[in-house]
Order: sequence, then C-alpha cells, then structure tokens
Amino acid sequence: MTTRQDALPPTRANSTAAKLIVPCLIGALVALALGIYGRVHSPTGIAINIAGFSSPGTVKSWLATGATVFAIVQVVSALVMYGKVPRVSAPSWIGGLHRWSGRIAFLLAVPVAIHCLYALGFQQYSTRVLIHSVLGCLFFGAFTVKMLILPKRDLPGWVLPVVGAVVFTVLVVIWLTSAYWFFSTFGIKR
Amino acid sequence: MKRNTPLITLLTGAVLGVVLLISSMLATPSNKSVSYSAAATAEPVSPAPSSAAPSPAEASSSAPAVTGSSPAYSGTSSPAPAESSAAPAGSPAAPAESSAAGSAPAAAPSPSATRTTPTRADYAGRVGGGGGSVAVSVHGNKAIAYVCNGSTVEGWMRGKVENGKLVLTGKNNARLSASYHAGKVSGDVKAHGTDYSFSVSTVSKSSGLYEATARVEGKTIKAGWIVLGDGTQVGSLETDADSDQPVAVTAPTLDVATMTARIGNVVLHAIPVSGVTGTGF
Repeated sequence: MTTRQDALPPTRANSTAAKLIVPCLIGALVALALGIYGRVHSPTGIAINIAGFSSPGTVKSWLATGATVFAIVQVVSALVMYGKVPRVSAPSWIGGLHRWSGRIAFLLAVPVAIHCLYALGFQQYSTRVLIHSVLGCLFFGAFTVKMLILPKRDLPGWVLPVVGAVVFTVLVVIWLTSAYWFFSTFGIKR
Repeated sequence: MKRNTPLITLLTGAVLGVVLLISSMLATPSNKSVSYSAAATAEPVSPAPSSAAPSPAEASSSAPAVTGSSPAYSGTSSPAPAESSAAPAGSPAAPAESSAAGSAPAAAPSPSATRTTPTRADYAGRVGGGGGSVAVSVHGNKAIAYVCNGSTVEGWMRGKVENGKLVLTGKNNARLSASYHAGKVSGDVKAHGTDYSFSVSTVSKSSGLYEATARVEGKTIKAGWIVLGDGTQVGSLETDADSDQPVAVTAPTLDVATMTARIGNVVLHAIPVSGVTGTGF
C-alpha cells in the first residue's frame, strides 16, 4: 500500500515524460533516418533547374530564406500569443497566423532538404558543411517532435516554447550555414 | 479534427518530400555505381566498410573491420578475375605491373609495411615531367586515384589496397601501380596510352582530389579536379562518363571556396574524394 501511494506523485511527473518520450523518439528516428540516407545514398550531384532562377543553389537559398522569414513570424506571433510583447494584446487571428506561417515555412523547407539529401548528401568536409548536415537532419526531427506534442494536453507550460525555440534556432543556424553563406559568397541574386 | 492538424501538416510535408524524391530519382536514373565497372564486381563482397561508414561516431570502429576484412579479401578469388581481365588489356606495360601485383601477396609477411602504411591518407602532386597531376586517396582497404593533364588525358581508377601496394584500374585501360607509406606514394600511372611516373606527397586541407557528376541531356558528365597545395589545379571533364571509353575535355575551373563549377546553366557541385574523411568512397 505505502509503495503504491509513494508511486502516485512520480507517476504524475512521469506522465509528462511519457507524453514526451514517444514524440522525441519518433523525432530522433526521423533525424537519424535522414542522416543515414544522406550518408549511405551516393550523392548524384544532379542540379535540376527551376525556371526563373539561375541555379539550384539560388532556388534553395531563396526557399530557405523564405522559410526563415516565416520562422521569424512564428517567433513573433508566439510571443504575442503568450502575451510577452508589452502593450500588444493578442488579436483573434494570431493563432491562424502562427499556424499558417509554420506550415508554409515547413513546406518551403522540404524541397530544399530533398535536394540536399538527394544531390549533395550528408557531408563533413568543412565545419560549415558538417554543422549544416547535422542540423539539417535535426531540424526535421525537432519539427516532428513539435508537431506530435502540439495536440497533447496537460503538458507543462515550458514544453512548447522550449521545443519551438529549438526548432527556430536550428533553422536559423541552417540558414546561416547555407543561404547566408551562399548569398555572401556569390552575392544576392536570383 | 482540430487536434489532428499538426499531424496533417507533418504528413503533407512527408508526402511532398516523397513525391519530390521520387521525381528526382525518375529524372536522374542513377548509373553512378555502374561507372566503375572494374570495381563494381568487387563491391558486393565488402558491404561492411561502406555500411559502417555512415555514422561518424562509428568511423573509428569501422577501421579495424576494414583492415580485418582485407586478409579475407585476398584469400577470395573474386577480385582476381577483375584485375586479371584488366591486365591483358593494358598489355604494353603489363609485364612490370603484373609482377608487382604478383609480388604483393609475397610481401605480406613484411611487418614494416603494415607499420608505416596509413589506412587513411590523401596524396596529390605533379607527375614526373610536370605534364599533369595525380591524386591518390586511400580509405581503409579501398583506394581511388585520378590522373589528369587538364585536357584529354585523364582517368579514374579504383582498386584495393594490399600490403601497402596499390594496383588500381579504370576505363580506357587506365592503370596505376604504386607503393605508399605515411608521407608519400610512388609509382607509375597510365591513362589514354600515356605513361607517367610519379612520387607525390600527402596533401592538406582544401587541396587534393575533387569530383562532380551531373546529368546533362541524358548523359552523365563527370568532372575531376586535382588541387595542389600551391592552389593550382588541373581538371578534366568526361562528357559521357557511363561510356566504356569516356572522352574528356578541359573542365571548368573549380571554385574551391564554394566547391562549385559552372558549365553554361549547369552548376556542378563538387565533393572531395578524401580517404581521410571517407567522402567520395
């Protein structure tokens, strides 16, 4: 009996962990699967061009920049929703803005990732490339975690902001190690 | 319904990813592994090194596995036909090289060879006479070499490492035989009927061998560059790399900072072929 009573509070604490463990495991598997595919698959180096852009590098850089801009909208709208912006009360459409900017950012990032994985692969020949490869895989894992824990209720208040911040930070570093590097090396062009 | 929307977002992204991946695959029938027909026969025998390579964390543990598998490899007969079939084709230079190949197993007991030969190394430099450059990358028991004069004479070669000796073969009867140790690789290489002898040293970061492939108008083009320590580079480009006798032209200049080269509208993304890091193997 006593053991059972002792077990109750930890069970409650564990239930938070239990809610997080499965999404985190799935997210880890997603990141791992992308990394393994990127490493095992021999990169084709193929560069399919999209009309209006001069090279796949520019297409990817602009898509990634778009995703990053929408990610900034994510952070701002989240701050407003959480009432962290002084003298700004959350308008009714802020939730929709947050959801749709997130969806668009994610869908912009997917083609970039596919091109990276298929044409270039997981590489480690320089620090920039290694960081980019690792975080590129981690991003989709972290995003998966965010999406999977989003519908869960009764989570501690810190969980979503922390996971969201991780996703945002990872995306920004990915952008810095790719599109920012691309534009600062080649110049901003279409 | 509302609770499912994040999942729908995820699945939409996943479906978009799969569709893009499949369309990329359909657009680019991958013939890359076929391009080294001589080496391709040897590939299935040693899946362990390539499958162990993906994880950087496991890279160090894969090294013993590679060296462990090499004695077993020399015992099996499967690589022998591939090399012997290539040997008659390169007949003019064959006698000296086949004796070198034949002496490799005999040299096996020599302990000094195993002590001084690195399992991972990159070498590059000018060939004797300076008419071109050669690069050799050793990764475990595999090696890749490229010789190039910056124009029509060039050749990719692959093969196995046995007891500090390299006997690598490629298309157009390209052949390299060399011995190597910690700081240097020395030997002879032949491509497009041109013989070179060489003795070149290890290379440092950003110099070495680079390759890029792309599919243009239904053909696979493959470029190779050898970048030397002083920043000079030579590069050639095979206009139909899947052909049995690829023809090469001068490659566009490789921008080493961005790892790209440009031919008209096509941007080639180069990757280093490095035995030290294992990229390109």
